[in-house]
Amino acid sequence: MRYLWWLVASQWPRALRGSVVGSAWMIGLAVRPYLIARAIDDGLRKGDTRALLTWVAAIIGAGAVVAWLGIIRHRTMTFLREDATARSAQVMLRHLARLGAVLPGRVPAGEIATVCGTDMSQASWALTMTGPGVGAVLTYAVASVVLWEVDPMLAAFVLLGVPAVVLVVGPLLNRLQGVDTDYRHELGELTNRAGDIVAGLRVLAGVGGRDLFARRYADRSQRLLRQGYRVGAIVSWVQALTVGIPALFLAAIVWLAARMAAEGQITVGEMVAVYGYAAILSVPVWFLLEGGFMAVRGVVAARRIIAVLRIPPEPGTTGHAPDGPAELHDPQSGLTVPIGRMIGVAAEDPADAIALADRLGRYTPSEVTWGGRPLGGVDPAAVRARILVVEHDSYLFPGTLREVLRVHDGLTDAQLAAAIRTASADDIVESLPGGLDAAVEARGRNLSGGQRQRIRLAQHLLAEPDVLILVDPTSAVDSHTEARIADRLHAYRTGRTTVVLATSPLLLDRTDLVAYLRDGKVAAVGTHDELLATEPGYRALVVRTAGEPDAATGARR
Amino acid sequence: MTGDATHTAGPAQALPVADRGTVRRSVAELARAEKRSVSLALALHIAAAVAGLAAPWFIGRIVDRVSAGAPASGVDVLALAIAGCVVAQILLSRTAQNVGNRFGERANATLREDFVARTLRLPIGVVERAGTGDLATRSSVDVTTVGNAVRQVVPTVLIAAIRLLLIVGAAFLLHPALGILILAGAPTSLTVARWYLRRAPQAYLAEGEAGSELTESLTATAEGARTVEALRLAGARTREGTARIARQWQTRRATLALRTVFFPVVETGYALPAAAMLLAGGYFLSEGWVTLGAVVAATLYAQQSIEPIDHIMIFLEQAQRGVASLSRILGIGLVAPEPRGVATAPPGQRLVVRGARFCYPGGRDVLHGIDLEVRPGERLAVVGPSGAGKSTLARLLAGIDLPREGVVSLGGVAVTDLDPAERRRRIALVTQEHHVFIGTVRDNLAFAAPGASDQDMCRALAAVDADWFAELPDGLDTALGDGARALHPADAQQLALARLVLADPHTLILDEATAALDPTTARRTERSLAAVLHGRTVIAIAHRLYTAHDADRVAVLEQGRITELGSHDELVRAGGAYAALWHSWHGDKA
Repeated sequence: MRYLWWLVASQWPRALRGSVVGSAWMIGLAVRPYLIARAIDDGLRKGDTRALLTWVAAIIGAGAVVAWLGIIRHRTMTFLREDATARSAQVMLRHLARLGAVLPGRVPAGEIATVCGTDMSQASWALTMTGPGVGAVLTYAVASVVLWEVDPMLAAFVLLGVPAVVLVVGPLLNRLQGVDTDYRHELGELTNRAGDIVAGLRVLAGVGGRDLFARRYADRSQRLLRQGYRVGAIVSWVQALTVGIPALFLAAIVWLAARMAAEGQITVGEMVAVYGYAAILSVPVWFLLEGGFMAVRGVVAARRIIAVLRIPPEPGTTGHAPDGPAELHDPQSGLTVPIGRMIGVAAEDPADAIALADRLGRYTPSEVTWGGRPLGGVDPAAVRARILVVEHDSYLFPGTLREVLRVHDGLTDAQLAAAIRTASADDIVESLPGGLDAAVEARGRNLSGGQRQRIRLAQHLLAEPDVLILVDPTSAVDSHTEARIADRLHAYRTGRTTVVLATSPLLLDRTDLVAYLRDGKVAAVGTHDELLATEPGYRALVVRTAGEPDAATGARR
Repeated sequence: MTGDATHTAGPAQALPVADRGTVRRSVAELARAEKRSVSLALALHIAAAVAGLAAPWFIGRIVDRVSAGAPASGVDVLALAIAGCVVAQILLSRTAQNVGNRFGERANATLREDFVARTLRLPIGVVERAGTGDLATRSSVDVTTVGNAVRQVVPTVLIAAIRLLLIVGAAFLLHPALGILILAGAPTSLTVARWYLRRAPQAYLAEGEAGSELTESLTATAEGARTVEALRLAGARTREGTARIARQWQTRRATLALRTVFFPVVETGYALPAAAMLLAGGYFLSEGWVTLGAVVAATLYAQQSIEPIDHIMIFLEQAQRGVASLSRILGIGLVAPEPRGVATAPPGQRLVVRGARFCYPGGRDVLHGIDLEVRPGERLAVVGPSGAGKSTLARLLAGIDLPREGVVSLGGVAVTDLDPAERRRRIALVTQEHHVFIGTVRDNLAFAAPGASDQDMCRALAAVDADWFAELPDGLDTALGDGARALHPADAQQLALARLVLADPHTLILDEATAALDPTTARRTERSLAAVLHGRTVIAIAHRLYTAHDADRVAVLEQGRITELGSHDELVRAGGAYAALWHSWHGDKA
């Protein structure tokens, strides 16, 4: 509620204008029945041509004024809503960008999509209450006065009757929405099925089963059809009654007014006007009813927005980072990362390697020290600026290839080219239409697994961190490419600290030093060749020759 | 979802869109198929609208009687008649809408089922070249838009049109000149509507796109939150998001600008009919051609005509969008379906490639004359640098793509002559892609082998070491996919492998089946794979050299040509490119 209030308060002049224009427009709607009544009474009945012309001119003029008021109201309210939506989006954007690694554990991604896609606009629609909502109340009051002057009894009947009819029809409409919601839910399911089939077309092309899926979809579609029949049976009643009940009410008014006219209590013109007022009075009452629904939904939506905005960012720690390049040490595994060298880490269990990367990157609490001081005590922002972990599923944002690679401003195309070459990604740039200007979809969906991995590598190289930690950087590329990357990576990172967690001999051969991790602990340290010669376990791990059944071909040697 | 290097290289080829004539024909066909319900609904709607027109008519009569000085009781019958007409209108329009709804539902079901059936018959090459994005949009947005149009827009516009026609008719009955003059607002309305409709679809499309782009951008920022922090992209993401917000604001202003012209002109026009009725009525009345009641009734008709015109105006834009969506849905039917194949299944299992050349449309050749014979039961590894054409070769072998020149045959029959379903039962292609379909575990397995029993399925899952299956609450009935239980990538891959065990093809083509998985997952998957491969011909596209090492033969593919072919030992002895790589990989110093 306070959030909605903030959205209104931050643009109160606009909200005020919306109220004024909204009221004027709605009152304007009631003017035409009045003018028509005068034209009938003063012009037609008396045969007074001048009066008739005057009133007709007034009808046309009033029509133009009401149309003008209508569009001003619509524009003002649209701006009010759009401003609110943009404001919500901006606040959300800043917050999401600031949250960082805290976020994934706190809110499922689908929730964010719902909040951004639906809730923000629903919160904005609630603001409609400020303009026409106020107008509706005012209009009702004005209509009361006018009707009272025609006849108090008739006025009481109309003024109480209209809300009563709306209150009867409102729940009916609600019911219509309820029935329709179930149908829409089922329809959504069916749409998902179709999307599912489209997404799985390639799998179906590889294994077969298309006919079965066509049949299954058709079955589901027939179910929706039957549900549609049931909904239609109810909806048609509701639609007929929502028109019919007000029409019956109007008939009652006509009857009352006609009797009064016959008895001379009111004029014929007034009788026609009463008919018109009653028809038009339903506009403000509808507005109030609908506005009420919107406000309720808006409050719910605002609550969901607030829930995301309330997630606190990671509390900052004050510790300073070491001034220059410093040694990283992980007591848990016993690993020490030497400054300015490239060290390979070959872990028996890949899970140990991932855990180690998480510790060194300060993603999990640990006893890791950086230049002698606890890494956990250092300000996270300072750590991120200097120590970078390249994760297997690091997110690729949509944009051109150049935008994806330019992780900070000031990177030149030449620098990009150097990183691309190091990651052996030249062929990707060449094969994509437009080269560096080619579009990369979210998550790199339009790239193959190997291409994504190389683009990620180039991207992280360009961040130029003091310490670069690579987790299986070449697991998805072929051996030829892997050999090239291994060579170039070492040259590119010369003089800077690099940790390569991998079991590929091609990569490990090009490192300065290798640590062999068994049961999560460093079992041996040496060059790749030394370890091959002295550590049978290491040799078995990286070369996989004797004894182990080769999984990919099922052969046993 | 994983694309493949070679597909993204080719230019995207959009799926076709049906032209006006095709759309018109298929709509006519839908209506003709149900002549009875369509005409019944129309007749009922007309009757209901006639009943709805009674009120102004009777009010006119009341005015005449009152003017003539009738007593109060004189109007009772007329007022009762109004109420009677309203009740009749309620009943008639309810029945009309129900009949119409049922027809609409049936039409919708036919359209969407046709669409899915045709989508499933699309040749996979066509789908890949167009990108699945287009097809996904057609299956969701377009099918829903057409559904809404059939369910809401068509009936609303139809009813409004009927009412409008009858209102004009009623005014005409009062006096022919009044019937013409009640259309006084039409010229301006039609002119501005034409103007609006020429611009609106594009503007609203842009607005919708900007909206979903903003949502996508925000969602991406949330999904990639860890990366935003690691690469310190907060500034860049905020800039990007702000640009999207600005774009949304801009597109919404554009549509608002259109409405700013459209609405006031149309609304101003609404005053004209009533004014015309009063003016003309005044003149006719003074000449004694009509009664005062007739003029009042005509004026009320003029007021009543506002609502149907309003409905038509509001829904015109949506109707237009519905037609556009319908032409995209029907467009799928214009693609020639995958050829069914005529040849009977060959008894042989020998897979032979002769002089195969291949290029993606508009590109240069990716394969330059491949000759290869795969012996039944052998394990053949295909290695080579990225972009050498390994995946393309795999697709030719699986019969998914046709060679531009040359032939791929199975047991002496060209694979493309085989019925696709028959072919898949014999040769299966396993890629990095694994898709878990919405449905139960059983649904996810059954389509690979329609005759499989529950026992077969459990056995297949056990064969690939799918130990997670034992922990599922409802066994084979556990729901998977989209919102239901999410499977770990390795589990999903195992499910895909269990499918293969059930499908039982004699030849398997593995295209880097484990490349996109993280190392832990990859290892588990490889173990499951071993169970599937037992006793089959295997062609493995590989980037791991140990795969090649253990294969019966190795083919080295470079720049679209097979440059080396032989057993691992032979190739190492030959001292070519493969040997060099092997030595470096193995840790031997040359």
